[in-house]
Amino acid sequence: MTQTDTAVRLDAITKRFPGVVANDDVDLAVERGSVHALLGENGAGKTTLMNVLYGLYQPDGGRVVVDGQPREFDSPRDAIDAGVGMIHQHFMLVDTMTVAENIALGNEPRKWGGLAVDSEATRREVVELSDRYGFGVDPDQTVADASVGVQQRVEILKALYRGADVLILDEPTAVLTPQEVEDLFDVLEELTDQGKTVIFITHKLGEAMHAADDVTVLRDGKNVATVDAADTTREELAELMVGREVVLEVESRATDVGDVVLDVDSLSVLDDREVPAVTDVSFAVREGEVFGIAGVDGNGQAELVEAITGLRDPETGDVAFDGRSVTDDSRRERIEDGMAYIPEDRQERGLVMDFDLVENAILGSQHSPSFSSRGTIDWQQSREHADAVVDEYDVRPGNPDARAVSLSGGNQQKFIVGREFERDPRLVVATHPTRGVDIGSQEFIHDRLLELRDEGRGVLLVSSKLDEVQGLSDRLAVMHDGDLMAVVDPDDITEEELGLLMAGEYPEGYEPRDERDAMEVPQ
Amino acid sequence: MGRLVRASGFERFLISASALLLSVLIGAVIVLGAGRMTSCETAAYTLAFPGAFVTQFVGGDALFAMGFCYDPIALYDLLFLGALGDILNDPTNGQFATTIAETTILLFTGVAVAVAFRAGIFNIGAQGQLVMGALVTGVVLVYVAPPLAGLGVFAAVILLPLGLLLGAFAGGVYGAVPGALKAYADANEVITTIMLNFVATSIALFFVSREQFFKDPESFANQTVSLPDVAMFPELVFRARDDVSLLALAFGIAVLVGVWYLLRHTSFGYDLRTSGLQPDAAEYGGVDADRTIVSSMTLSGALAGIGGAVYVMMVLGNFQPGVPSYGFDGITVSILAGNNPLGVGFAALLFGILKSGSIVVQVGSDVPPALVGVLRGLIILFVAMPEFFRMAGRKFGSFHQPGEQPVATDGGTGGGVDE
Repeated sequence: MTQTDTAVRLDAITKRFPGVVANDDVDLAVERGSVHALLGENGAGKTTLMNVLYGLYQPDGGRVVVDGQPREFDSPRDAIDAGVGMIHQHFMLVDTMTVAENIALGNEPRKWGGLAVDSEATRREVVELSDRYGFGVDPDQTVADASVGVQQRVEILKALYRGADVLILDEPTAVLTPQEVEDLFDVLEELTDQGKTVIFITHKLGEAMHAADDVTVLRDGKNVATVDAADTTREELAELMVGREVVLEVESRATDVGDVVLDVDSLSVLDDREVPAVTDVSFAVREGEVFGIAGVDGNGQAELVEAITGLRDPETGDVAFDGRSVTDDSRRERIEDGMAYIPEDRQERGLVMDFDLVENAILGSQHSPSFSSRGTIDWQQSREHADAVVDEYDVRPGNPDARAVSLSGGNQQKFIVGREFERDPRLVVATHPTRGVDIGSQEFIHDRLLELRDEGRGVLLVSSKLDEVQGLSDRLAVMHDGDLMAVVDPDDITEEELGLLMAGEYPEGYEPRDERDAMEVPQ
Repeated sequence: MGRLVRASGFERFLISASALLLSVLIGAVIVLGAGRMTSCETAAYTLAFPGAFVTQFVGGDALFAMGFCYDPIALYDLLFLGALGDILNDPTNGQFATTIAETTILLFTGVAVAVAFRAGIFNIGAQGQLVMGALVTGVVLVYVAPPLAGLGVFAAVILLPLGLLLGAFAGGVYGAVPGALKAYADANEVITTIMLNFVATSIALFFVSREQFFKDPESFANQTVSLPDVAMFPELVFRARDDVSLLALAFGIAVLVGVWYLLRHTSFGYDLRTSGLQPDAAEYGGVDADRTIVSSMTLSGALAGIGGAVYVMMVLGNFQPGVPSYGFDGITVSILAGNNPLGVGFAALLFGILKSGSIVVQVGSDVPPALVGVLRGLIILFVAMPEFFRMAGRKFGSFHQPGEQPVATDGGTGGGVDE
């Protein structure tokens, strides 16, 4: 293999799918030993391009050059042989096997003339590899017991074990906690220091700027620009991505706050393992305001929201909706009372993956008079509704007959948001409403959320994105370890102070909150 | 397997057709092998080279010849075409009537199992529900029918729907039991329904074998008193002794269409399908999981119970224990049909053909019944397996290639279920 400065070069790659050009004449050059970010909105063609490089797709035009040699990959096997490895969003690991076994799977060192797996040699090789790049994984741990961050490292090690010099990571940070993201970036740096080349796909500006050396922006299947990460700004990248100026800050506060629409009183909730996840939480959401809950994921937000929306029975405490206790009401009654809910887990809860969008459009309203009469569903009505949501919320592909599973994550999210927002709700409970959604649509969702608020509906917003929850909320609670640390005015608090509260510490000037603070609406 | 999950309707048809062909070929080899291992006076089938076709012109003997006791071609001819009988000259012949009768009852058990499957419940208990439906229908009609017998056609108009309702009621109650056990006591429905099958058979035997209950005192066999003719499905074009009724068949087809409509076009069907596909999403959508389990099991049991009622009112004319395994065959019929109510029609027909065809084979050739059973089993196994793996693949697999996302191939966080 000849060593060149360019590890991977894609020349004029074109890839078409029925009715759409996913990659249009895309050039890409990735320097050896660098981290290259592939940035773009949902549907810009990033993953398609990388699937071409990884041999999952054969391009309709153009060529792939690895290490200065033109290649034709018929399958990922060919790509791996040429030293290109890819780590998908969804890990392909055997849960019941150990870390070492997973890494070596299919390529294990053999003994007894190839008859048996040499598990000691496997373990030794894996430890060696892990130490060389400072991965620090425990080779004997069962994958099922490993955290998501560790599982991702195992995937990376698996690619390295197979001799990959170029690593492609598809949205590697989507599944990670902020701390794990930092660790991942350290690992990437270590890899490139030792001569490996990393390409990672992302739609997050900050990550691209922070972790990459070069950033290539794709838009509508075309390479818009490749820029040096050190020389660019967030605004420039954002503009390149969406093709127009975007305002990253949302600034508009509630003006007309009405009656309490949701009143949570001393609520305690257990999680799936019967461990207290929410302890004695009280707050209230009023008509015409956005009440935000910030916090690191896993501090009880999920359980709190499920108890409010009727998916989980609280241990003690009371949830009142529109002045009436709904603690004993079923999920369906709460939906019918006008509680819209954007769930955290869109693929398990928010959509039936095997249903098309027409069917998904009435999930939760299948008994409502707007879509059914005397038990019979009006599919025409449902189709019109699906059409409207797809149109207004820019769900792609714009075909209501598409099955939910065929949509990308961001488009699934847009569809759910649209369906819930258009329910004519009294209260919207939105959990990570823009997770995985491209910038253009994020802005639209934020605007719609504020519109709903201005129409006098209550909004409970739970998000781990600080800029989102701080920008949109009229009052902001910080949740830590199952409790609300404080309810603050989002305009008066700095990111540092928020960070401290999220970590469970009180910055100067903040006191542990009195339970009824929540009722005081700052004017 | 990924390809199997994504197969289109036409591909699925091709798969089924080639599976059928393959099973016939393998069956033929087995028949030949079995034919070599038995001894017989004259060979029923001879493999020769050059074959008789050549030697009759050229003269001389074949260079190589091997005789077999069973003729696979004749056997398959009997199995498939025998089920139709001499249909061109006599469309209402006995063989074809048997095919239709078997098909009719399997429509009900097949769709019963399919409904439960669509709700994500494995109802192995269709057999027990069918037995209960048959028992209650047979026993009650014995008391209700005679006083009405004088009314002629009007009696039939009252008695037939009543019998079906009784069957539906008994089967429904008997299906609701494991449903409630699953919903409120977390008892696995596979276990409970299997056990309830035995319970149903025993209950039936208990009541039908004792004269103080419902045993026909005039008969040596364990059976109830025969129903008057007005309580029986009219045979219409078929002959009375063939125990078949086009009216029952038409009713069965109507039930299939009704169940299809229920699943596709009603809110209840939406709840049921959502629960079956994705319980978490159903819960999110306000579906009461427990209630859906109980109601879909009740519906499933009621459909099987109607099958039992039809069995009594069309075939038996009374109730006898030792009901054929229609309920168990219903499971295979349902899988074969991909749990689609309309597909159940075709799957039940294939089953009906095989059942009636094997009777013809047993009568018309000296092939042992066990071997015919093997051939039948092979066909069902081969045809059902691709569909079975498809179901398993959809449920557990991760076979959505990125290619399924034609436009937005770009994931966002977690695009598609799995890539």
